Amino acid sequence: MLFTGVDIGGTNTDIAIVDGGVLTRKVPNDAGLKRALDSLEIRGRLAVSTSQPLNRLVTGRPSSVHSITIPGPGLPSPGSVAGMVNHRGDVLEEIDPAAIRVVLEEQVSEYLAICGKFSVRNPALEEQVKAIALSYYPPGRVATSHGLARLGFPARRVTTEVNARILEIVAEMTRTISPYARDFLFFKGDGGLTSAGAVLQNPSVLFNSSPAAVALGARYLSGRSDCLVVDIGGTTTDLVPLHNGAPRMQDIRIDGNITFIRSIQAVNIPFGGDSVIETDLCPRREGNPMAFGGVRPTLTDALNCCGASIGDATRSRSMDPAIAEQAVREYISGVSEEVHASGAEIIVGTGYLAGHLIPEISREAGVRCIIPEHADCANAIGVAVSRVSLSLWVHMDTGKGRMVINGDLMPIDHDMDDDELIAWCKDEVRRRAMEMGAPEEDVGDVLLEYFHAYDVVRYGRRTERIADLQVSIAPGITVDAE
Amino acid sequence: MTTGIVYHTEFLAHEQHPLHPERRERLAYTDDQITEEGLWEDPRIARLDPRYASREELSRVHDEHYLEFLEQSSRTGGVIDLDTLIPPGLFTQARLAAGGALVAGESVMAGVVRNAFAMVRPPGHHAGTYSGAGFCYLNNIAIMVQSLKNLGCRRILILDWDAHHGNGTQEIFYEDPDVLFTSIHQSPFYPGSGDVTEIGAEEGRGYTINMPVPAGSSDEVYQYLLSEVIVPVAEEFKPDFIAISAGQDNHFSDPLTGLALTAKGYASMMASAVGIADQECAGRLAAILEGGYSVEGGLPYTNIGIIAALAGMNLSNIRDPSSYESLLQQARDPAALSRVEAMVGRIRETHGDVWSCLS
Repeated sequence: MLFTGVDIGGTNTDIAIVDGGVLTRKVPNDAGLKRALDSLEIRGRLAVSTSQPLNRLVTGRPSSVHSITIPGPGLPSPGSVAGMVNHRGDVLEEIDPAAIRVVLEEQVSEYLAICGKFSVRNPALEEQVKAIALSYYPPGRVATSHGLARLGFPARRVTTEVNARILEIVAEMTRTISPYARDFLFFKGDGGLTSAGAVLQNPSVLFNSSPAAVALGARYLSGRSDCLVVDIGGTTTDLVPLHNGAPRMQDIRIDGNITFIRSIQAVNIPFGGDSVIETDLCPRREGNPMAFGGVRPTLTDALNCCGASIGDATRSRSMDPAIAEQAVREYISGVSEEVHASGAEIIVGTGYLAGHLIPEISREAGVRCIIPEHADCANAIGVAVSRVSLSLWVHMDTGKGRMVINGDLMPIDHDMDDDELIAWCKDEVRRRAMEMGAPEEDVGDVLLEYFHAYDVVRYGRRTERIADLQVSIAPGITVDAE
Repeated sequence: MTTGIVYHTEFLAHEQHPLHPERRERLAYTDDQITEEGLWEDPRIARLDPRYASREELSRVHDEHYLEFLEQSSRTGGVIDLDTLIPPGLFTQARLAAGGALVAGESVMAGVVRNAFAMVRPPGHHAGTYSGAGFCYLNNIAIMVQSLKNLGCRRILILDWDAHHGNGTQEIFYEDPDVLFTSIHQSPFYPGSGDVTEIGAEEGRGYTINMPVPAGSSDEVYQYLLSEVIVPVAEEFKPDFIAISAGQDNHFSDPLTGLALTAKGYASMMASAVGIADQECAGRLAAILEGGYSVEGGLPYTNIGIIAALAGMNLSNIRDPSSYESLLQQARDPAALSRVEAMVGRIRETHGDVWSCLS
């Protein structure tokens, strides 16, 4: 099998082709995504990580997003309109279309997010509001929350606002990429792959995928499932612990608000190869190192002053050698302290400066190190060798004769007992993953992450059964690349 | 400072029988509602894990022979009364519920949280020194109150607003002047006790205040009793801690009772209790869940109201679904208030010599 991985970073796009051997390439972003794809002869499976442009959108100043919320009884929420879905997914209060039109006419914004309490048990009211909103907004600028699948209205609201803002750019990216490989896959922040169709339901899964890509690439290149990955980038150095081949994940907060955006847990040290040196090393980037045509001395230039030969090393020589040596020492001792504090026994170095800095960091921290071949393109390699990952959140309610899977309602034709339901859901998640292009060998292990079921009793009789469960295919390296 | 919620999925494990009103379905919808409201992630809320109450902690409230009987019967299954069966494993689950109440009290006293709500099962307020009854095995709130005394609280006010009289708690503290037991409950009703004339005995005389209310009593009745009896008595008693037996079977949709409190009524009642605690004892308050059998239509809304009031959240949107309005009108009896006013007149007669605010 042959795999192509593309990671669109801040300044460059990294490309890796894996087919037993590894071929890598860097293309500057200035020319645009299309030019980068044109430079490739894409064969085999194409997977794309696009986190950098999206990170800027998510963490940058908000473009104007308006939220319409349908909170029903309970805690209030901003932008609320009438309507209520209860915990069983019944619509107990209807929306007021005229009032919603008034809101849409008065609140002019670029994007619209629609979020109703318990919409993941019944999306009807969100869909009704969306149908009205489409007279005021183009479809690419309206996002609803039920596809986020999980209970947690405040987190869904904030995540839906993010989705509203990035939906259009992700759709455009999809249109750019699909002529090159119709069944291409996106690489998510949790380290797994998914289809473009699924991403358009919830584009926030693309957020901050580069660290996950580096972690997966480091694992693939080093063969180490338990280690600390130390990735030296241009502006930061990221420390990512791997346990049993997987990084730890968490839901990120935006402006203090919890979201349903999963991201890797990492220690971020605010120094990298492009960090400017004044008298000390400074935690900021001001263009390229002098060795790559910049005007300010950086950590990369300091390494050149200490004997390395990176880029056009002669341009770095204008630095004061004493200051250069001091800056390199400062960087190494700062990182090795963090490495030591992590308790790791072995580190895997990645990034284009890994060979120059990791051996010294490992010595000072007193841990072993590995710097695999192609360490400078671990991110794109991680994207190339990843596999499809997928979760289904299922709520079954025999009394209502329906099931909700990731926010979509479907009828149930017969009552299933608990074992039958679990088996059915495991088959369903396998089927969906294979539909996205996963080989059968990648979907063998389905995790039952959560299960809770109980009987509904009315008038002393057991009348219905309700079950909640989550089944997942975890991220990892595709069997075909191992 | 935060509001602690003591909760564990193990609280769902207890079931006397799958069809019993006090069954695991009781908290399932509430858990959904809390999760959907994002309360577990809210910075104003801290989730607290329960612990198992020790034998010694149980012995401060219950007779050793009863505890022995409960433990033995839990091995194979047994019976206390027709409402209160002992399923295998019960003793462990009941010790966890009692430990949940203990954690609520301890966390408030240690300043880990400002106040707390122990959302425990099985409930406890009918359990007396020598026996369980009415779905209750160990008296969770009494076990917490005894531990609060050990932690330095001299005077503790118990407010039991469950629809059923908290006869077990009353019995345990009947002669204790350091524990003021107040109860609002439906009457006539199970368990039959809780008359105005039951006022405590010996040194505890006057430190039991029963407020029986007729079926159909709604929000205005509870607010009236708070302002006429509970707040003035609390100001005179000057408690170091307020403990609430927070039954939720006075909701108008409850199938086992005849009262007519609304979700908003619960929230404002708890807000008043928080107000007294702020005024009298630096906010120290813990609520322990007792009954409440409107599992689907009532509990999700009343529990959110209680938590929101404890945490000082915006209560403006705490309400029941509007489609329940006709049910409320059927349950509510506007004449209840005048009967309750007369009952308060009798309380003034029975308690006026102990409480100057009632004389």
